[in-house]
Amino acid sequence: MIRILNISIPLFLVYLALSGNAQPSNLIIGALISVGIALLMPKRDMQFVPLKRLPQFLWAGIRYLFVVGWDVIRGGISTARIVLDPKLPLNPGIITIPSGSKSELGTALSAHSITLSPGELVVAMDDEGTMYTHCLNVDESEKFVAQAQSMRQNLLSKMFE
Amino acid sequence: MESIINITTWIVLAAHLLMALVAAWRVWRGENSIARLTALDLASTLTLAVLILISILEQNSIFMDAAIALAALSYLSTVALAKFISDQKVF
Amino acid sequence: MGNILDIIAVLFMVIGTLFSLIGVIGYIRMPDVYTRLHATGKVSVFGIVFLLIAAIILSPLSLWKGLVLIFFVLLASPSVAHSIASAAYRIGLPLAHPARDDLRGKMEQGDGRDV
Repeated sequence: MIRILNISIPLFLVYLALSGNAQPSNLIIGALISVGIALLMPKRDMQFVPLKRLPQFLWAGIRYLFVVGWDVIRGGISTARIVLDPKLPLNPGIITIPSGSKSELGTALSAHSITLSPGELVVAMDDEGTMYTHCLNVDESEKFVAQAQSMRQNLLSKMFE
Repeated sequence: MESIINITTWIVLAAHLLMALVAAWRVWRGENSIARLTALDLASTLTLAVLILISILEQNSIFMDAAIALAALSYLSTVALAKFISDQKVF
Repeated sequence: MGNILDIIAVLFMVIGTLFSLIGVIGYIRMPDVYTRLHATGKVSVFGIVFLLIAAIILSPLSLWKGLVLIFFVLLASPSVAHSIASAAYRIGLPLAHPARDDLRGKMEQGDGRDV
């Protein structure tokens, strides 16, 4: 039951956003389609947030969004400065960053947020969750990513523990 | 005010078309397959921007639907092509 | 009130275009594939998102479609960049003047399995 709700409610919201009218007939059709798709989905072991931890999850998630957004803006400005510099001061290389997360979803989210900020790019990942990250400026990124990753990791463990 | 928005949107549209042309030229004259693939992804992203600008100009949200379809298709095709280049098979 | 929102929308359009321009210039100037991916990632993260915010402000009909598209672009662009970089490293494209390369030893041992 909770599995079907977890899949069908986001599908229903996306259907409403794309169709763009809230008449009762449209609501009923959207609910039927989303529940039908959720019933057709294969049964896999997925990680769902239990209902009583939802407020804590949402609060940590909003803080995580702000932290990642700030990192993205910082990375964008520093990459723009490198590109517009006439001498092109590159110092590229591949460094290792431990993800430090037990769950697969936490590892995927930290790889996503690292790649989203311009200046760092995850090239490969091994089974222990070590991320091999390509950086435009090795020294700066290594110093910065260590502290950013510990803060993000803290928030992610609050979200998924 | 309307005219300022209109003129800015036309200028921005022209700039994006020009950048999409540069990206298409880099697809044709790439150094290797991965560089061409990157240029293809860049060109499709800029085409997405052109569709969004047309939806601003026409005040019509049907172009936003086209933009969503283009985003989904270009995402899938770029990932499938990258996997094909590295593994020589898709699945 | 409407005037201020219009000015903000025009500013967002111009800033997004400047970031896209920086991305294309970076694509042409950068020496190898990995550094180019940093520059093209900027086009999709900043250029598209700023244009979409301007579109949401200027035409209120496309609010929800614009939000869905922002969510999709921010979700999809890192995985595209990761898949291209992973393919480039697997077919063995070299890095241009690397300061260090921690992945090379791992790949030669044969247990650096890509995701």
